[in-house]
Amino acid sequence: MAIIDVRNLQKSYGNNQVLKGVNFQAQEGEVIGVIGKNGAGKSTFLEILMTIKSYDIGTVIVFDEDIKSIPTNRLEQLRQNISVVLQPTQFYKTLKVGELLKLFKAYYQSPVDIEKIIADFKLEAHRKKYFDKLSGGWKQIVSLAIAFLSEPKLLILDEPTTGLDPHMRNLLWSYIKNYNDKTGGTVILTTHNMDEIELYCDKVMLINNGVNEVFETTENILASGYKSINAFYLQSVSI
Amino acid sequence: MLTTQLKYDLLMFSRELFYLIFILVVPPATYIFMGQLYGDFTYAGNLTYAQTYTPSFILLITFGVVFFSFGFEQVMHRTTGVEKRISLSPVPKKVLLLSSILKSIILTSFGFFIVYLIGIIVYNLSFNLLSLISSYGFFILLNALLLTISSAIYSFFSNMNSALVFSIIIFQVVMITGGFAIPVEMMPKFVTVIAEVNPIYHMNKLFIAIWNEQFQLDKSTFISIGYIVALIIIALVIIRFSTKRRN
Ligand SMILES: Nc1ncnc2c1ncn2[C@@H]1O[C@H](COP(=O)(O)OP(=O)(O)OP(=O)(O)O)[C@@H](O)[C@H]1O
Ligand SMILES: [Mg+2]
Repeated sequence: MAIIDVRNLQKSYGNNQVLKGVNFQAQEGEVIGVIGKNGAGKSTFLEILMTIKSYDIGTVIVFDEDIKSIPTNRLEQLRQNISVVLQPTQFYKTLKVGELLKLFKAYYQSPVDIEKIIADFKLEAHRKKYFDKLSGGWKQIVSLAIAFLSEPKLLILDEPTTGLDPHMRNLLWSYIKNYNDKTGGTVILTTHNMDEIELYCDKVMLINNGVNEVFETTENILASGYKSINAFYLQSVSI
Repeated sequence: MLTTQLKYDLLMFSRELFYLIFILVVPPATYIFMGQLYGDFTYAGNLTYAQTYTPSFILLITFGVVFFSFGFEQVMHRTTGVEKRISLSPVPKKVLLLSSILKSIILTSFGFFIVYLIGIIVYNLSFNLLSLISSYGFFILLNALLLTISSAIYSFFSNMNSALVFSIIIFQVVMITGGFAIPVEMMPKFVTVIAEVNPIYHMNKLFIAIWNEQFQLDKSTFISIGYIVALIIIALVIIRFSTKRRN
């Protein structure tokens, strides 16, 4: 089943046309990596999928809803099924980690056990700290923990592993994979780490010059003769 | 969900030392201090210090809470990206708005009763249930008016620092021209001119009149009410316009 269907998506900031006609589909259960150089428009693209950014031309369908013409109440319903990590992430800075988790659990009216999330994400030592006072990596982990508070059908993550040490990176990926296997949820993420794409993603979309220059399965890219996804990226994208 | 949000909104307020001191400590302290200096004077309408300044300081606290912890905070959440993150979760916007309105009503009511209590204890303010009820009712109306005006004003800001500087300046202006320091009538001419366009000055006049059961529909109250109503209409138009603009 198609979870997302994007046709001819175009988006400008003033005179700066960032997306010039992106086509993209995501099927249920896929893990898709979006890559491209800094400023290519990855975050812009993801935020459009998250339904928080407007766009100029094209159609974007998420869970069978055309998000341009959707009324507010249905939009709120739709967001119930989506969890996100933003780049960069901000939360109420004078709440403690434990309190933030409780608040978001209330937002999602989620049955997930906070204690389990705290244990899973190794947050025990940080639960009484203010969000504002955490290190960059721990902020990122809290943001991820919040994304897994509900049991979303769609997970959209903007550079979720940037700033994480190798252990936390592995932990996060095992979490994503586990979620994907168990619930069949769809994952769309960006990363600058091509090894992650190779190891964990079913498909890759390369945004270059405002279009989806490549949108292929990881398997096919490697089968077409590239030694690795990193080699593929370096050869496909000029500086 | 509303009670959870409200609980955390109040918790966050209590952790902002700046708000706590600036809004809930400084005005009552000033109220006591000024009374020591000017406590024996008689004010317009043959009123005592407490009769004049009790409603004034309640209004000042209300203004502080509404402008800082409601209006300015909206800008802060918008510019730091908190608003964006929250808008991605399925909490209805109505709940967030209602919670911040309730928060400011709770905080300003706290200010209301603190100043009232100080007035009774320190300055022999008399207790009258009927006038308390009508004053509190009018105070809630003032809350609603100020919330509307501050929403409209802060919808223009997309930068936190300029919003902060603005808030501090406007607080000073309101302090001086609202009749909270020495009576506006005793100030230089240009101050009285600014006072006339300061809606808080008009609210203060009306509030004092109602507090002391001296309210009459004469030319001056008519001008005050008309002016405030006109501003509210403009504010509502701005709010409509800015929510449209953002979508
Ligand atoms: N709110 C905005 N207003 C104006 N221009 C913007 C805005 N957001 C992004 N841009 C511009 O759009 C382009 C794409 O930005 P975007 O953040 O989508 O890139 P990205 O692919 O996510 O980059 P990175 O890998 O560095 O995260 C950039 O040129 C950026 O300057
Ligand atoms: Mg980005």
